[in-house]
Amino acid sequence: MPDIPASMERLIQRLPLDFRVLYRQFLLRVIDFEALSIQADVVGFLGQFAGVLFMLSLVHSVVAYLGYAFTPAPDARLAFCLHMEHYLIATMMLVIGLITVVSWDATFPDRRDVMVLSPLPVTPRTILAAKVTASAAVLGLAILTLNAASGIILPLLVGAQPGPALGFFQSLPAWWFTLIAASAFLYCSVLTVQGMTALLLPRRIFLRLSAILQLAAFGLFLGVYFVQPSITDPAAMADPANRWILASSPSYWFFALFNQLNGTLPAQFSWIATRAWIALATAVFGAAASLLLCYIHTMKKTVEQPDLVPGARALPWTLHLGNSLQTAIALFSIRSLTRSRQHRVAFAFYLAFVFALALSLLREDLASTARIPVPMDLIVPTILMMFFAIGGLRNVCSLPISLTANWVLRTTQLRPSEDYVAATRRTLLLLAAAPAWLLSLALAYRFTPFRSVAEHLVVLALIGLILVELGLIGFYKIPFTCSYLPGKANVQLLFWGFVIVLVAVLLPFAEFEKSALGNSSKFSFLLSVLAATEWALWMINRQRARAAIIYFEEIPDEPITTLKLSA
Amino acid sequence: MLELRNVSKRFSGIPAVDHVSFSARPGEVTGYLGPNGSGKSTTMKMITGLIEMSDGHIFFEGKPIQDNLIAYKRRMGYVPEEPYLYTHLSATEYLTMVAQLRDLPARQSSARIDDLLRMFSLHDDRHASISGYSKGMRQKVLLIAALMHNPQLILLDEPFSGLDVASSLVLRSLIQELASRGKVVLFSSHELDTVERICSRVVILHHGKLVADDSIQRLRSLMELPTLEKIFSQLAVEQDTDSIARQIADLIHA
Repeated sequence: MPDIPASMERLIQRLPLDFRVLYRQFLLRVIDFEALSIQADVVGFLGQFAGVLFMLSLVHSVVAYLGYAFTPAPDARLAFCLHMEHYLIATMMLVIGLITVVSWDATFPDRRDVMVLSPLPVTPRTILAAKVTASAAVLGLAILTLNAASGIILPLLVGAQPGPALGFFQSLPAWWFTLIAASAFLYCSVLTVQGMTALLLPRRIFLRLSAILQLAAFGLFLGVYFVQPSITDPAAMADPANRWILASSPSYWFFALFNQLNGTLPAQFSWIATRAWIALATAVFGAAASLLLCYIHTMKKTVEQPDLVPGARALPWTLHLGNSLQTAIALFSIRSLTRSRQHRVAFAFYLAFVFALALSLLREDLASTARIPVPMDLIVPTILMMFFAIGGLRNVCSLPISLTANWVLRTTQLRPSEDYVAATRRTLLLLAAAPAWLLSLALAYRFTPFRSVAEHLVVLALIGLILVELGLIGFYKIPFTCSYLPGKANVQLLFWGFVIVLVAVLLPFAEFEKSALGNSSKFSFLLSVLAATEWALWMINRQRARAAIIYFEEIPDEPITTLKLSA
Repeated sequence: MLELRNVSKRFSGIPAVDHVSFSARPGEVTGYLGPNGSGKSTTMKMITGLIEMSDGHIFFEGKPIQDNLIAYKRRMGYVPEEPYLYTHLSATEYLTMVAQLRDLPARQSSARIDDLLRMFSLHDDRHASISGYSKGMRQKVLLIAALMHNPQLILLDEPFSGLDVASSLVLRSLIQELASRGKVVLFSSHELDTVERICSRVVILHHGKLVADDSIQRLRSLMELPTLEKIFSQLAVEQDTDSIARQIADLIHA
């Protein structure tokens, strides 16, 4: 851990002890420690996330600098700077939005807080202050790491443009103020919505609605980011057709705010910046009011709520999703995904990302009134959807739920391990491959000819099967029951690995598939290769599963391999 | 019959259970006693197959359990010390999942679960999430899960934990009834009164070592002590309990 400067240490020591203790506790709750393997490297895990954000900042800086350097014309440079300003603001708002969704209602007292802290001599004011400070610290860290490099480069480029009186020295504070204001707006807006619903609704209904609101916010943030067009050129901004987008999209409000603070906003667009000021003030006021009211009313409500809430009646029939083991594991997975907030959000992240990506790529094709031939825009996004859905579910399955309860699966492990691998395969097919395929079917209705669409869907189904088998390699665990080792996978390497594979494999494959659609011999060849690959992978997995041991605890690889000669 | 021969478990070289040998016979309730940290739960976990032994052998009906662990698990029911359950499921969902994992016939197990929930007074709350259940209700779910497949070997680690008086009385009779029907029951508890009432034999563990293995009647006459509590205190309690209580009160008072 880095040493805290002495002056900071003295300042921290001046804060009340109860505040410091609570602040540390709330800050640590960002991670669900109960799910971690005993040997998990938590610091490394947090470092990786900070590293991903910092890496993004570096990528943004390089793109901004190179884009600027290779654009010689002054007008084009200005247009590029404007585009980058909006892009960076929108990206940062997306990241802050995702963090807000992941740490959903962390600022409000939950039942555990109330039950643990109420009997102690701690005032609600201290709890509130500690929670807000912990949330602000996480957001502050995200803003800082995400803009560490680009937060200097962009003001430098913008400051070099004709307009700002003080150049870089005006752009820099304006840029950072805008980033903080945009983040505060987003965070406070979510708090206001949550606080008001908590105040207005009965606690039981609020808890159910909160989960839906969380997913809705998630979809909204991703959807807006991917679907909204880029309107940063003054001529496009002045177009009445675009007025509603500028009026309704917060990223444009803060884009205008930055230019206003920088002295580069044409007067005719000052109304957009005014929206940012109003929105920021409203959100901050709304969040402050709802937080205060919640700490007065909701804590009482939480204590008074009944312990036992009646559940919805079960289905009058038993759902069969294969044999009894496959049904048990598939139903357990469905219930874990739908009822655990952590798992739901993690899976929704993949699904929403894929859906938004597909929509943004298919936007123009789907808007077309005429039926159009199957384009690359259908092939690539649908394969990506399948990849992210299966990869996402496989990753989410690695996050355990109630780790201490997995003894029941261990003491009832009555079948050979290959049956458990088959049950996990069934779960991945049912919960990831099938929905992704059905979604692709729904998106494909605009395309023609029918034969090509049907052929692509067959190819997609085979790709889904192959991806499921790839996901099962070495995955000898029951979904949601094994502890996990964060930091085991190198996120940066995986990210770049994925980009390289995408470019190297997916695009040429999609080109080949497009040429094979409607061509019987080529299509038969493609189908044969895919079917053979699927069969080979299935056989390998089946063979390896026979000798596999289902594990419930992730153990890091031994740094030293022992020869066990002493035994 | 369940038989342990020289069973040991070491964690990082430190013995938690040290060469323990005893047997639990059908038709008997064998009490398994020991102070906190004596190795009771570790032994239970080794018997269930949750953790591996460092040394020794465990036999069930004359065969080492490791020879066919799956067949052994089919015939075993286990109630763990802590009521760890998947709390995002309802009681019905949890028990149905256990029945499916045990590959019990769907229709038969569904009816049995329903009946058992009714008998354990959980039927009204069977669709509610376990997260809202009290400790006693969770304990009942564990008991149903352990018994619904009619196991031959029943391992009960603190089964009375959190149960109300009426449920405790039912469970006490149930344990005796199951033993009388030829089941092997190994019962671990700190409630010595209950152990004395329902167990035919007791095994006492101290610092991971076996210090007694006999019928309660015989232990009483051998040690010339009137109750199991006195026997246990002599064998497994090293401290002067009254003196420690006084010291705690003094410390709080100071």
